[in-house]
Order: sequence, then C-alpha cells, then structure tokens
Amino acid sequence: MRLPCHRGASLIVDGMPTPGTELIRAMAAGDHEAFTRFYDRYAPLVFPLVLRVVGERADAADVLQDVFWEAWRTAAAYDSARGTPEAWIVTRARTRAIDRVRAVRRRSETFVPALDAASAPAAPGGDVAERAGDRALVAEALARLPAPQREVIELAYYAGLTQSEIAERLEQPLGTVKTRIRLALARLRELVTLP
Amino acid sequence: MSHEPFETLAAIYAVGALDGDELTQFEAHLPTCPACEAAVRDAEETLARAVLTAPPQAPPAAAREALMRRVTERRDVRSRAWLRWAAATLVAAGAAAVFAGTWVAVRYEARLGQMAREMAAAKEALREELSLDRRAVELLRDPTTRVVDLRGRDGAAAANGRMIWNAAGGGHLLATGLPPAPPGKTYALWAIARGTPRPVGLFAVDANGRGGHRVAADTARDAVQGFVVTLEPEGGAPAPTGPIVLTSTR
Repeated sequence: MRLPCHRGASLIVDGMPTPGTELIRAMAAGDHEAFTRFYDRYAPLVFPLVLRVVGERADAADVLQDVFWEAWRTAAAYDSARGTPEAWIVTRARTRAIDRVRAVRRRSETFVPALDAASAPAAPGGDVAERAGDRALVAEALARLPAPQREVIELAYYAGLTQSEIAERLEQPLGTVKTRIRLALARLRELVTLP
Repeated sequence: MSHEPFETLAAIYAVGALDGDELTQFEAHLPTCPACEAAVRDAEETLARAVLTAPPQAPPAAAREALMRRVTERRDVRSRAWLRWAAATLVAAGAAAVFAGTWVAVRYEARLGQMAREMAAAKEALREELSLDRRAVELLRDPTTRVVDLRGRDGAAAANGRMIWNAAGGGHLLATGLPPAPPGKTYALWAIARGTPRPVGLFAVDANGRGGHRVAADTARDAVQGFVVTLEPEGGAPAPTGPIVLTSTR
C-alpha cells in the first residue's frame, strides 16, 4: 500500500517508536517527516562506520548525505522480506564509504594500505588521544573477536581489501584468509544474537 | 562454482572481499540459489548488528540541514518541472485545438462555398426554367399565338413536340420522348418558310427525354409554315443533313 503524499500530514504517530520498515514505507510515499525521523534514528548509528572507513569527518559527512539521499530516493524499492532496515542502511553506507575510499585511492595512485591503528593495537607510535578516539569507533562486537579474525574483518569490511589483497598483505595463504573470514562471521553472529 | 562451502563464500562476499573468478561466478550463482542468497543476507544482518554495537556518534548538523534542504528543494524542482510540463502540454493542446479548429473551419468553409456555388447554380437553373415558363405563359396569353404539334418520325416514333409560336414574340419548343442525342450529335430545330428550313437553334434533352428551346422572333423573315427537328452533328449545319425526329408537317 502506498501512503498519500502530503507534506506535514505524516502518518507516523508521535510518542511511540515507529518500526524502521514503517518509516521507509512512509518515505516511499514522499513523507518528509518520516525521512527526518529515519535520519535522526539511523544517521548517528551509521556515521561511526562511515567515518571509520573514510577517515575524514568532512568526507564522512558527504558520504552520509549520499547514503541517506539514496535511501530517500530508493525507499520504494525496499523489501522488508529481504532484510531489516538496519542491514539495508548499513550495507549501503559501507558500500558508499568504500567507493569513496577507492575513488580517492585511484586519484592519488599512491595507496599503500596501512594497517589500521585499531586493527593493530600492538603497533607502536601514534598519538595516544587519536588512538583512543579511533578505538571508540570500533564496534564492540568486533573488539571481542580473536585478533586474527578481527584483523581480516577490519581489512575487508573497513579498509575494502579483497581476500587476495589481504592474503598478500598478511603473507598468509588465501585459504587461511577465507577460513578466518568465515570464522569471524560465525563468531560475530553468536555475539550479536546472544541475549 | 568453487568447492568452497557456500557459507564461506557468502561470508567473504558479505564483507566485500570476494574477488576474481570467484566473485563473477558467485554473483552469477546467487540469483539462482535461495540458500546462498539467504546466507549472504544472514551475513549482512550479522555485520549490520555488529557495526551498530559501536557507540553512536552524531554527524555534523550541517549534513542534516543540507540533506533536508536537498530533499525539499528536489520536491520543489519536481513540482516546478511538473508545472512546466503542464504548461507545455496546455500550450501544445491549445495549438492542436487551434489547428484542428482552423482545419475544420477551412473544411467547413470549403464545403459551404461548394454548397453556395451549388445553390447559385440551382437558382440560376430555376430562374432560367422559370423565365422560360413565364415566356411560354406570356406567349399563350397572346391570342395570335399558335400551338403547333410535332410528331415523332424515323427513329423517334415515341417522341412528341409542341411549338408555341407567335409571329411577333417568337416561340418556344417543348419536346418529350426524345432519346438522348448520340455522342457527337445534337438536336437542331428548323423553321420552315417558303418550303425552306431555316436553322433556329440547337438543343439537348435531359435524362427523361425532355428538351426545349426558345426561338427569338424574326419579323423580317417570311411567315413560318412549320417546324422540323433533326439530328445534326455537334455545332449544327446550315441545312438539315440528319434524320428528321420531329416534324409539324404531315
């Protein structure tokens, strides 16, 4: 069902949390109020991810705008049977952030992926305060992974490296990288589904 | 397809690390395999929930403002575009209506013009017919007017004619039962005086075999004794050459 498109006549009722799927449905009908609420709910959750990937706050704000703009425009294509609103917006945000990083890399042509400070906590050097700030951006669930598993997730999901690049980077067999990724996902799944 | 268990491929795909042939093959396989699709979805849900365990952090307020402005402006642009579209459509529709109207008017005028011409022609024919009848009536009022019967001859035995004749006022031939003149031929009326036929006019008959001809008075001539109608070549002849179809002489 499509909701009527009336500015200021939001069908979203104040005072009670509206499911994300309802917000997206209202957005699909052109409801600005629903979009504002969607942004206010999900932007602070997604922003740390984008910032973690692109590094610069201004760039991250740019990417965030693109991500939510795309969400606004493609809300009608959202299918709740194919995933939660959280997965919908997070997957989109991660993809756009990686796109931005890769575009910057192509432009600079000087990319040598450095192990992220947070993914190599034992690495010496770096400003202590900065590292503390970085660490605050790391997802709790991720921090609870065994180091080798966390490392491959960091490199793949946050740095945008492929399995071959990770294997080369870590000087590990491709099969080992594959296994670590699989194990990491299995462990994360346990962590996020535990009560 | 690779020998990797699909859970592994789905996990690597979900973190965006699948590459090369494996990526190509997996992406081709994915839409055909609900199990793999579900595994990817499951991995994406897991990653999303894991990512969202990070402490929330408010993005710059400017980003929110810019985004909301963008959404609102875009709607305004859209509505202005709609208005422009509507205006253009109206202009086009107006032009089409004017064109159609002009076309109809031109056609109508053409039809009207044709009708007017037809009316004028009919009126002219009626007037001509009326003036002939009036002259015939006037001729009949004249006590000196004679009515001369003409009978069919040769190939037109069914034909009949009546000549209303006044020596001073001229005459009027009314013929019936004449077959239409063959192509290249026409009927010719002759006045006979002193035993000699004098051409007094050419006429045609209508589809009903009716024809008529008005003959001007010619007082300078000798008294007319009778009338003859012959079939002559188109354009007539100085003296009768064709067969006699009607004659007042016995």
